[in-house]
Amino acid sequence: MKKALYIGLLCIGLFAKEVDLSAELSAWKSLSYKTAAKDSNGTLSAILELNKASYVGLINTPKIQYVSRPTNEGGSVSYGGMFQVEIKQKGIYRVSLGNASWIELVKDGKLATSAAHQRGPQDSGIRKIVDYALESGVYTLQLSASGDSATALLITKIK
Amino acid sequence: MRTTLWIWICIGVLYGGAMDSSEAKIELGHRLFYDADLSINGTMSCATCHEQKNAFTDGNIAHPGALGHEGKRNVPGLSNIGLFKNLTWANPYVSGLAQQALMPISGTNPIEMGMSGYEDEIAKRLRQNECYQKLFALAFGEEEESINLNNVTQALESFQKTLISNDSLYDQKIKNHQPLPTKEAQEGEKLFFGAAKCNLCHTAPLFSDDDFHHVQLHKLPIDNKTEDNGLFEATGKVKDRGFFRTPSLRNAALTAPYWHDGSAKTLIEAIQQHNLTINHKLSEKEMQKIVAFIQTLNDNSFVTNPKFGKPSNDCTH
Repeated sequence: MKKALYIGLLCIGLFAKEVDLSAELSAWKSLSYKTAAKDSNGTLSAILELNKASYVGLINTPKIQYVSRPTNEGGSVSYGGMFQVEIKQKGIYRVSLGNASWIELVKDGKLATSAAHQRGPQDSGIRKIVDYALESGVYTLQLSASGDSATALLITKIK
Repeated sequence: MRTTLWIWICIGVLYGGAMDSSEAKIELGHRLFYDADLSINGTMSCATCHEQKNAFTDGNIAHPGALGHEGKRNVPGLSNIGLFKNLTWANPYVSGLAQQALMPISGTNPIEMGMSGYEDEIAKRLRQNECYQKLFALAFGEEEESINLNNVTQALESFQKTLISNDSLYDQKIKNHQPLPTKEAQEGEKLFFGAAKCNLCHTAPLFSDDDFHHVQLHKLPIDNKTEDNGLFEATGKVKDRGFFRTPSLRNAALTAPYWHDGSAKTLIEAIQQHNLTINHKLSEKEMQKIVAFIQTLNDNSFVTNPKFGKPSNDCTH
């Protein structure tokens, strides 16, 4: 399984076309591997750092106990998982994703509202970009309804 | 006398709490509507595109399919969909909501939920779920094969027929014989049913005549798509080129963008895109009044009713 993920990482590096990414997305070009958590305890060791892109391994949906039931949970053959991310400063944050998984950020049981969403630049390997207005604090980032068992993920502060 | 009363009470207790097959079909359809196992990779349910908060549309020009294929047309709303004879934007041959459900599930033009060739997989997945086992048995009988695609689409039809929207400000005005709340909306109503003749196609009470028309200003397709020939694609008749079904205006203020190609971002733009003589005479202010009237067709209870929203994970059967 892990081998396949590393091959995936290599493929992204080899075949992604050179695209002029904006400054906040330039970190997309170097990915490190991380495994998603399947429950709230697991998020303590599934920590995302701002401005560092990760190639994340996801979990089969029926095995996941989300902190908050996702709006789009995904079916039994889909994948998902959770991560923890610490937001030190209030602001607008951008989540960039390599596939079309459903993204939700949860803090104290409440979902953060998305401020904008768009597709990634053509040939960048970024499929989906969603911006959120976040307060400082620790958030759980939930990915759900993913068609792939792994994808790339990056969080950046844009304002 | 007292004995008879007790018999009726017992019958009530025995059968009142039990679910009849029509109710079971509706509940089953409700669950299936929100179940992404109807798509090839489990990423997409009916509700992925038909979101209740947007009157069962999704706010996009068109929604990509589960495998990333481009969407073809704007997601149509489902307000009172069970009362329509013609389903989808441009196909007069769809016999009902059960048949229509197959178009996103296993259709290939466009590929949406991507189950073409994998239809049997749906029943296999659903059979793993105890709640579905019980609901299919209640809805369709205990036969071993009751969990099948045909019954899935029947149940989806039963649920969608409950999507009734009839409690807007306009409906309340009709029921209570009261005027609409603002002067702008009142004047918009006069224009809608009078000089602007909107009601000729957007006919009350559905605010659609459930028929096909060619009334959009001709323009190049957006997003580099090839031109959409509408009804012609289903009938093959040249005279049907560019014809599309009149969309209902119920909850229309919640369903932007508009037209089959999602090319109008606002209701004003949607009105401006009508290639009708009367339209060219409407002032900006008159259009705003018509929009104010259309906004009174919003039905808050429809977009917040938990009976139509995401069902609980609990199975009470």
